[in-house]
Amino acid sequence: MPKLPKEILDKSLERFTVERDWFRENLEAARQMPGEEYELNAMMLDILLAAKQKVLDAAHNDEPFIGGYFCNAPELFTSMDLPWMMVLETPFLSASAPYVIDDIEGAEDMGLLGDMCTAIRLPIFYIENNMMPIPTCCLGLLYPCDGAPMLHQVLMHNSNWQNVPIYSCDPPYTSDERAVNYFADELREMTGFIAKHTGKKLEMDKLVEVCERSNEVYSVWQEYMECRRHKPCPHGWELGGAQCFAISQCFTVGDPKSVAWFRKLIEVAQNRIKAGKGAQDLPGWKEKCRIFWFDIMPYGWVFEFMPWLETELGVVLVNDMFGNYPYTLIDTSSEETIYHDLAKRNLVDAPMIRQARGTAENFVYDIQKNIKDFRVDCVIWPGHMGHKDGAATVGIMREACREMDVPFLHIGLDLFDKRYTSVDEVKDKVETFLRGHGLI
Amino acid sequence: METKIKSGAFQKFAEACGSLMNSEIQAWLDQGGKVAGFFCSTVPEEILMAAGYLPFRMRGTGSTDTELADAYFSPINCSYPRHVMNQALKGEFKFLDALICVNACDHVRRIYDNWIRYAKGINGTTFETVMSLPRKWGDRQVDWYYDEINLLRENLAKHTGVEITDDKIKEAIKLNNQLRSLQKELYELRKKDNPPITGAEALVAVVAGTAMPKDRYIELLRQLIDDLKDAEGNDGYKARIMLVGGELDDPEYINIIEEQGGLVVTDSNCFGSRLFWVNVDEAESDPVRALAKYYVQDRPTCPRTYGSQPERMEFTRTLAREFNVDGIIGERLLYCDNWLVEHYMTKFDLKEHGGNMPFLALDREYILSGKGQIKTRVQAFLETMEL
Ligand code: SF4
Ligand code: SF4
Repeated sequence: MPKLPKEILDKSLERFTVERDWFRENLEAARQMPGEEYELNAMMLDILLAAKQKVLDAAHNDEPFIGGYFCNAPELFTSMDLPWMMVLETPFLSASAPYVIDDIEGAEDMGLLGDMCTAIRLPIFYIENNMMPIPTCCLGLLYPCDGAPMLHQVLMHNSNWQNVPIYSCDPPYTSDERAVNYFADELREMTGFIAKHTGKKLEMDKLVEVCERSNEVYSVWQEYMECRRHKPCPHGWELGGAQCFAISQCFTVGDPKSVAWFRKLIEVAQNRIKAGKGAQDLPGWKEKCRIFWFDIMPYGWVFEFMPWLETELGVVLVNDMFGNYPYTLIDTSSEETIYHDLAKRNLVDAPMIRQARGTAENFVYDIQKNIKDFRVDCVIWPGHMGHKDGAATVGIMREACREMDVPFLHIGLDLFDKRYTSVDEVKDKVETFLRGHGLI
Repeated sequence: METKIKSGAFQKFAEACGSLMNSEIQAWLDQGGKVAGFFCSTVPEEILMAAGYLPFRMRGTGSTDTELADAYFSPINCSYPRHVMNQALKGEFKFLDALICVNACDHVRRIYDNWIRYAKGINGTTFETVMSLPRKWGDRQVDWYYDEINLLRENLAKHTGVEITDDKIKEAIKLNNQLRSLQKELYELRKKDNPPITGAEALVAVVAGTAMPKDRYIELLRQLIDDLKDAEGNDGYKARIMLVGGELDDPEYINIIEEQGGLVVTDSNCFGSRLFWVNVDEAESDPVRALAKYYVQDRPTCPRTYGSQPERMEFTRTLAREFNVDGIIGERLLYCDNWLVEHYMTKFDLKEHGGNMPFLALDREYILSGKGQIKTRVQAFLETMEL
């Protein structure tokens, strides 16, 4: 890829740098605070910050780095020593930043209306306004929703990104062996593409090493999930859950620091279980109700909602879609088995692509399994406005819950934009539902 | 719908487009024939035909509300599948024996899941499936869809007891190619300064082709083309318009545009040119491979096919040039992410590299509401072109 003109490069890194600094401040703050929970937070921020810094260093030094999506089998480019960022990460990491509403309005002014997924229109806004680092090459994924291929097509269309080669894996709609093998071939082709555009080679022993370390991460994650089954649940919305997904496959993969984080997480959870503690330490607080939040967390206004739910109502989020654990480990005995199992992990196991791609079976399976495994009292489908396949699965989900005799609530909201359904309205809906079912 | 067209063939088409069931389907059923409904134009109808079915492209025509479907879909779902589902829950598809779906878009693909649970019993379908259509258009994707089509072939053969031979598939391909060529011929008439058929009428003719036996349709379409050759043309319009978008089966929407003086002379729509601009390769010895290649690679794509935006843009430009178009309307059903982003890119391309071709993005619901607003926006659009 030709070298970027300085003004384009600088502008593209501006926002990313602000966010890096913001995480740095948070890390400093977390390090100053006493207690195991802060220690865990600091460990996580340290991992995240390192990933951001690697991208910035590569961009400044004109070294190759990847713009990835999620479920792109990051084990592959990790073993090629390539830093990466996710094109989708910007809206998630900056969801509660003061500028996010301005950015949403900016997207609307461009004609990306409010009926389109905010998680997709925000990155489009960032790409079109040169507010995202421009990678050496880009990896896309054509599911879990219609927004994904459209986002990638805008990226190919944008004048600053037109020289960025992009390869997008095509996940089939089915999940059988034929589908896994097809997806494995997509990943193989993707590896060749990365090598061609970055000059980095994939060494098999390095890949084996990364996969083995990533297996270790997944194994400790599984161990941790056992802790969350406990009643009362030792952790609520703040710890574990979606962080496990972020730390196992979004910002880093097969990282010894992730293993250490998970081990610490287990230790903290076990200490709480031993002490008979639930998710909160508040005097007189009791776990009254256990919920399965079957989607992404409402990151745009999470601090206005989740603490209220947990501390005031005693409602504990025992699991969510991204904390869900259905993973199988990678058999590292041959190149064939590695690609096969990476394909399975990224096509069938990882959240969102697991549920939203393919028929509604996985929605039903995951709901019913979580109800059983975590002794869930009710299921909440937040109904993010972007999840249109899920919106068309609402009746099926409700019936899956009815079969298990567990109440189901569909809210209807925007995970990023609290103007879509106000936080008060969401609280009101949730509280009325919980009281109506005698759950609090 | 009011029409100047005198042709009896057109009356037949209007009947087929204006309701789900029509006399041609009834006659087919009376002779013991079976009907297979399908979603999205990427389902290889030719296999259904070779299995002895009359393929019927699913619509929600006649629906007035979504009360029943609302228990299964949400208000953020496209109104097209919601209305179709509502019709299904009312038992309006009892004439179907089978339903073939494809993972077209996030809304439509869930019809399959809801149908097998809640609508199958009501309508009495005995075979349902969902095909996995790739989102790319490379050779590996052709191979994948080739297997998908063969699976459909096998399963339908098992279900119907009909042997689906290569010859039967080739015959169906030939028939559909004839049909497509005729539809293209019909569109050619619209290149005239005074086209003998309006956009709304052309849509009627295309929709009818998805709701009656193909040989009968071909016969009627030939008749219509003959009748139109010497017919009086439409004049007095303010501008020649091209429509670009997805699922549009309601001529009333085009009528509103045309009543304001914008004569729709061509389109790149799902019930439109993209269906028939290119034919299946009859020279290919393996007819299933020819179909896989056609549906994945050869035909003008829709936005769900990743990486083909430049080709779609080129297709739009070519048609706009050939049909001497003054402005383009990007129609979209609300909540459709595919077409929202596609229109965003089209608008940009037309402005930056399109010689300033006017473009209007015009959202709608499946059952026309807000007609006044559509009128006002079209009027304003036409005025900008007059300047
Ligand atoms: S827009 Fe594409 S996916 Fe949707 S109906 Fe048309 S061809 Fe099928
Ligand atoms: S208009 Fe868009 S959302 Fe609606 S059915 Fe077609 S592709 Fe799907």
